[in-house]
Amino acid sequence: MNVAVMKTKAEQAISESFEVAAAKLPGSAAVQARRAQAIGAFSGLGLPHRRIEEWKYTDLRANLKEVLPAAVEDKTPLTIAELIVALGPLAHVDAHRIVFVNGHYRAGLSDTADAAGLTISTIGKALQSASEEVLAGLASTPEGGDAVEALNTAFMTDGAIVEVAKGVAVDKPLLMIFVRAGSEANAVTVRNLINTGEGASATLIEADIVLPGAVRDAHLNTLTEVSVGKGATLDHVKVAVDEGKSLHLSNWEVRLAADASYRGFQFSSGLGFARNGINVLFNGEGSKLDLSGAYLARHSEHVDTTLVVDHAVPHCESRELFKGVLDGHGRGVFQGKIIVRPDAQKTDGKQMSQALMLSEDAEFDSKPELEIYADDVVCGHGTTSAELDPDLLFYCRSRGIPEKEARALMIESFIGEALDKVEHEGLREALASYAMQWLGRSRHG
Amino acid sequence: MLEIKNLHVKLEDEDREILKGLSLTVPKGEVHAIMGPNGSGKSTLAYVLAGRDGYEVTDGDILWNGESILDMEPDERAAKGVFLAFQYPMEIPGVAGLTFLRTALNSIRKKRGEAELTTPAFLKLAKEKGAKLNIDIEMLKRPVNVGFSGGEKKRSEILQMGLLEPTLCVLDETDSGLDIDALRIVSEGVNALRSPDRAFLVITHYQRLLNYIVPDKVHVLADGRIQKTGGKELALELEKSGYAEYTNKAA
Repeated sequence: MNVAVMKTKAEQAISESFEVAAAKLPGSAAVQARRAQAIGAFSGLGLPHRRIEEWKYTDLRANLKEVLPAAVEDKTPLTIAELIVALGPLAHVDAHRIVFVNGHYRAGLSDTADAAGLTISTIGKALQSASEEVLAGLASTPEGGDAVEALNTAFMTDGAIVEVAKGVAVDKPLLMIFVRAGSEANAVTVRNLINTGEGASATLIEADIVLPGAVRDAHLNTLTEVSVGKGATLDHVKVAVDEGKSLHLSNWEVRLAADASYRGFQFSSGLGFARNGINVLFNGEGSKLDLSGAYLARHSEHVDTTLVVDHAVPHCESRELFKGVLDGHGRGVFQGKIIVRPDAQKTDGKQMSQALMLSEDAEFDSKPELEIYADDVVCGHGTTSAELDPDLLFYCRSRGIPEKEARALMIESFIGEALDKVEHEGLREALASYAMQWLGRSRHG
Repeated sequence: MLEIKNLHVKLEDEDREILKGLSLTVPKGEVHAIMGPNGSGKSTLAYVLAGRDGYEVTDGDILWNGESILDMEPDERAAKGVFLAFQYPMEIPGVAGLTFLRTALNSIRKKRGEAELTTPAFLKLAKEKGAKLNIDIEMLKRPVNVGFSGGEKKRSEILQMGLLEPTLCVLDETDSGLDIDALRIVSEGVNALRSPDRAFLVITHYQRLLNYIVPDKVHVLADGRIQKTGGKELALELEKSGYAEYTNKAA
């Protein structure tokens, strides 16, 4: 098959963009070789499109027409005061913070000095030194792998490397801030590596945010690789709040050792076109996974959440709960696959995906999949889509609550069940505030 | 004063008339009971008073304090003092009782041109009113009515009523699903609200409730019309003779 002939304009442009950017992307010769291998893999794969089963509802090829230049460097001025404005409700969360502006580490805005138990460094720096360790830590993308992850490896410029020391319970969350600022529309590629040591516990927050007034067009490709050590507990929350025009490609690759506990949560609103992939591998017995999220989409926004939970070993438990609120021509896609390998007896897996449809034109596509090869397991999944309950609306209004506020209250009620999964109270409240902002409602005292 | 004049109501998407010229007057300070067999239009009357969708008023009017409420939205009616205690109170998962009550109370206060209550002032009020109904603050921190027993749901309705201080209280089958103890608590809650400024319309199928909430007048509703009006003794008669007389008359 002659791959070159089949390339779309955008695929061609991505290859050209790599040629232009390659010399400026960080990394030694070994890293450059890895990047070249990745772009080669991408060339073979092309942009995923609707005829590929996993991308049936989210045709990236049709939606990525214009390729933005890679953000290989950044000098956008940004003050702490501006950062706080961009953070919005998240500014109230007491946390250590590491800040990236347009995908590049900004030491002056970061504050990780007293983060006891956390060793924090950056991908940009690590790639320069290109130790075998770092290279080994980066998942390589073989041919036939994921095109978006291949692009991430080819273009990654920076990101956080976080080590949680063995046995340490970290006092407060680490907020990893990725802020878009300035007026140049470009493509930002971020790679994060998280490693939670044996018996440790920590809360990490990834925040994709925008400085008000910044360019609205942007492409983001973020890959976060997470390893949770034996008996460790990790709370991992991603908040992505944008202004309706950007393209977000996000992937989490999570590996859980034995007796680990991982709570992952993703909140998003205002993402123009988004694909949020989450892959979790149970790599040791006795582990627990609690994966949940809430997404809000309106106008012609498109939010896809695609999960693969791989029970490769016995005696593990997984729970998923995702809730979407869809208005206007907003479209939600949920694909959740639970794989239970032949040896993974006593697996306990439950999945639920729900959408609240606020308009006639909203669309929800849900595809739960169970692939079970073991015979002694408890697994279930469910999916629902519904409109606001008119009886409930009447009940609220009969108590004097005006229609707009009653609707907002019911939407809060709907996503509240998902938000409740967020353990950290301040963070949970920040997410509720984002939701209320989306609903055009201020927070009550 | 509540004045219902020659009220004709049909279902919006069905050509069946449910209320067929119902007329009724309840002065302030009085408690009137409406009794009637199943299907007589009792719940329809309650819903039409509160402004629920799905009903069409084809003739007649409802005046509250001299003003027609038919064109008002449910929340406007609530601000005018109309309150319906539901036969089946709704559950609202994910919304704490306190949030719901405060939102409702402050919405009404805002519409009445009063200042919104601060959180501490509201909490104090909720605690105080809740105590009389055996509802503690922990119960109010839970999502509205979720996992509540039948009795708890009804007590929670009466607490809402106590907090919102309506002037026209419509109780739809408040006694259904209550045991004697719950019935007593709920009735005490209602009786505590009786005042010269407030009118009550108590809709019930059974006489039992009226032992606790003693009405000034009893109306028999059958086939969409008030068939008879009398004093509280009428309820006792009905308990003995049943509704056959009225349903036959209607037929």
